[in-house]
Amino acid sequence: MRPQLEHLQLLENYLHQHLPEEQRQDVEIRLLWDKEWQQNVSSQQVAYEAIRCEGRKQLRKELEAIHTRLFCK
Amino acid sequence: MVFPLHKPVNTTSMYPTVSINKAEQLREALLTSREKTLEQIYAKTYPMVVHYIKQHGGNAEDAKDVLQEALILVYEKVMVDQLTLTSSITTYLMAICKNLWRTEYRKRSKFDSLDDYEVDQPTDETLADTPQQTKQLMQYMEALGQKCKDILVDFYYHNLRMEQISVKHQYRTIHSATVQKFKCLERLRKAVSSFSYNQFLN
Repeated sequence: MRPQLEHLQLLENYLHQHLPEEQRQDVEIRLLWDKEWQQNVSSQQVAYEAIRCEGRKQLRKELEAIHTRLFCK
Repeated sequence: MVFPLHKPVNTTSMYPTVSINKAEQLREALLTSREKTLEQIYAKTYPMVVHYIKQHGGNAEDAKDVLQEALILVYEKVMVDQLTLTSSITTYLMAICKNLWRTEYRKRSKFDSLDDYEVDQPTDETLADTPQQTKQLMQYMEALGQKCKDILVDFYYHNLRMEQISVKHQYRTIHSATVQKFKCLERLRKAVSSFSYNQFLN
C-alpha cells in the first residue's frame, strides 16, 4: 500500500484503539506537535461520522422495507 | 410524513420464537443475514409495541417510528460491542420503546400546553444528530459514488468482514479490497477536511 494509505491505516488503528501500547504512544507524541497529523485525525473522525450517517440512512430504508413487507399487505 | 395504513396480521406464528438472546449470537446473526434477522425481530416486536403505544396515547404509526428508532440504537450498540443482553432481545427492545415513547409523549404534551417550547436535551437513548450536520455529511458521502459508499458503509457501519466485502464487490483478493477501502476513505477524508471539526462537535 502506498505511504498515504498506510498513514490512514495507522490513524485508523489509533482511533479504534487497535495499536500496541508503544505505537500508540508514538502517535500521541507526534500528535502533540504535528499540525498536519492533528488535522488528519480530525478529518478522519468526521469521515467516520459521515459513514455512520449514511449507514443509518441505509438501515432506516431496510427497516421501512421490512415494515411494508410484514404489515402493509 | 405520510404513513401507510397498518393492517397488522399475525405474523409471529410464521416465525419460530426468537432464540437470539445473547448479544454475541445476535451480532453474528446480524453479520451473516442482517435483513432476515431484523425481519424476525421486527415481526415479533412490532405487535407488542403497537399494543403498548395504543394504550398510552399513540397509534400504529407512532409505534412504527419508535420501534425503528429503537432497532437502530440496538443495532449500533450490538455492532460496537457495547451491549450486554441479560434478557431476550424483544424484552430489551420493548424497554427502549417504552422510554422513547414516554419522551416523545411528554414532548407532544408540552407542545400542546406551552407557548414556549423547551428543547429537550439529547439523552443516551436518542439519535442526537442535528439535521443540518447530517445533511452536510451525507453530501460528502454522495460525492464518493455508489461503490465507495457501499464499501465504506459495509465495512464501518455493518462491520462486514473484508472477505465478505471482497466477494460482494468482486475483488479478487482481500488485499485489493482493503486497498480500495482505504482509497475511498482517503477521498472522503480529503473531502471533509474543510468541515470544521469544532463546528461539528458543537
